[in-house]
Amino acid sequence: MAAVAASAGHLWRLRAARAEGHWRRLCGAGLRGFLQPASAGGDAATRRQVAHFTFQPDPEPQEYGQTQKMNLFQAITSALDNSLAKDPTAVIFGEDVAFGGVFRCTVGLRDKYGKDRVFNTPLCEQGIVGFGIGIAVTGATAIAEIQFADYIYPAFDQIVNEAAKYRYRSGDLFNCGSLTIRSPWGCVGHGALYHSQSPEAFFAHCPGIKVVVPRSPFQAKGLLLSCIEDKNPCIFFEPKILYRAAVEQVPVEPYNIPLSQAEVIQEGSDVTLVAWGTQVHVIREVASMAQEKLGVSCEVIDLRTILPWDVDTVCKSVIKTGRLLISHEAPLTGGFASEISSTVQEECFLNLEAPISRVCGYDTPFPHIFEPFYIPDKWKCYDALRKMINY
Amino acid sequence: MAALWKLPCIFICENNRYGMGTSVERAAASTDYYKRGDFIPGLRVDGMDVLCVREATKFAAAHCRAGKGPILMELQTYRYHGHSMSDPGVSYRTREEIQEVRSKSDPIMLLKDRMVNSNLASVEELKEIDVEVRKEIEDAAQFATADPEPPLEELGYHIYSNEPPFEVRGANQWIKFKSIS
Repeated sequence: MAAVAASAGHLWRLRAARAEGHWRRLCGAGLRGFLQPASAGGDAATRRQVAHFTFQPDPEPQEYGQTQKMNLFQAITSALDNSLAKDPTAVIFGEDVAFGGVFRCTVGLRDKYGKDRVFNTPLCEQGIVGFGIGIAVTGATAIAEIQFADYIYPAFDQIVNEAAKYRYRSGDLFNCGSLTIRSPWGCVGHGALYHSQSPEAFFAHCPGIKVVVPRSPFQAKGLLLSCIEDKNPCIFFEPKILYRAAVEQVPVEPYNIPLSQAEVIQEGSDVTLVAWGTQVHVIREVASMAQEKLGVSCEVIDLRTILPWDVDTVCKSVIKTGRLLISHEAPLTGGFASEISSTVQEECFLNLEAPISRVCGYDTPFPHIFEPFYIPDKWKCYDALRKMINY
Repeated sequence: MAALWKLPCIFICENNRYGMGTSVERAAASTDYYKRGDFIPGLRVDGMDVLCVREATKFAAAHCRAGKGPILMELQTYRYHGHSMSDPGVSYRTREEIQEVRSKSDPIMLLKDRMVNSNLASVEELKEIDVEVRKEIEDAAQFATADPEPPLEELGYHIYSNEPPFEVRGANQWIKFKSIS
């Protein structure tokens, strides 16, 4: 799923050797290259090796009925389908959602549910969210799509000053709780400045909304359905690099995964690793590297909900292990890792064996050609982990 | 978006000629705010005349209900006092201007004159209404000053719709508020 810029070919080959990957070149269509089908002469590997991580699917869930093999965007479509079927007031809108969306998340929904439930909006994020708030206030379930998380900033005022404060400022007389905003998020290999951002930190600073980031198709469907049903305005960020790369068995029927609960994916006793979205797969690999090479047992936590975040799970884990490493793609300064770090040192100061480590993106705008050097890949995380162990 | 989708929406602009301390002539290149809807039709209404506002609103509502899409109404009115407690209201305009508007275009005065001159009401009847209104305002002011302030616990209420109540962090790690909704 990664594009190769011809001029940086030799750099990619170096990384490819390490990551044992096979690079596919997309024919210059930029982001639309996502929609091009895999070419027949491609790699025969059963697991796609992508830029800096390997997606690790969770085992097939047994408790929700029949499952089907789905990738992330199909899981999202399934969740939206379930929502529109269950709730007659649900509407989906955003740029280009009618034909299926630039990431195919809304394919088939307009045909199935009609053009007044799935419709396009003009290129106006402020209008999309403002309109969504209005619909939500009247009682309908509004599911707005912002085409890329990088474009959410014109809607920032509407989200922070209107949506988040609607209930509080009216003393619960009015609310826009049935609003959900979904947006593709995170690095993708060739996104550059305006197609790779992770703005969860900006919204974490705003009481009144909920911010959620899934790591896999199964998680995404459950969390998205929870967001839609939650009586508070929610922002749901979908890691775009996983749209096709992440394939899992996902239940066909609707199900919910609770918000504000972090998941301990792997138990351990020496270090706690916390991440969300794509980065969870990176730290999982780091955990296995640490086990192999250093004999260190890592506890891996997927935060899942950024706001309000599950302080108890993380602190309980740090009390057990004494060391914490947090990783995200967003820039280091003011990134959400700083909030986690600050809270954990307040709550668990005497339990810490080493300073809390944050492995994040550099404090630069998201680079184009330098992306492989920018992102906190497994080597940087492993290095930080090693330094923490030897502190 | 309202025009694109022909939504029945009346956009109202109360133009009281001053934005805090900046008069509209100094704030906008075009002060014809009713024209600023561009492709959305607009009405300029004398906001100081009660009957004029009523008729204009009837027109606008009929326009929207007929499915013709959104419409813009600019109501020209005036602000006698300053913008807030810290604004005396005279540093950017003259007292004469305020008095002129108050004496020539005060909405209540205009309507009163009209009603008395057309024998729709007598001066005494209107005085009675005056007295009643004054009493209502006195009572409201009394209630507002005498009513106790809400307890501090309510600081954290209604941030989210949630159950069970959850804790909101305060200014330092030992201050926590319960959020109930």
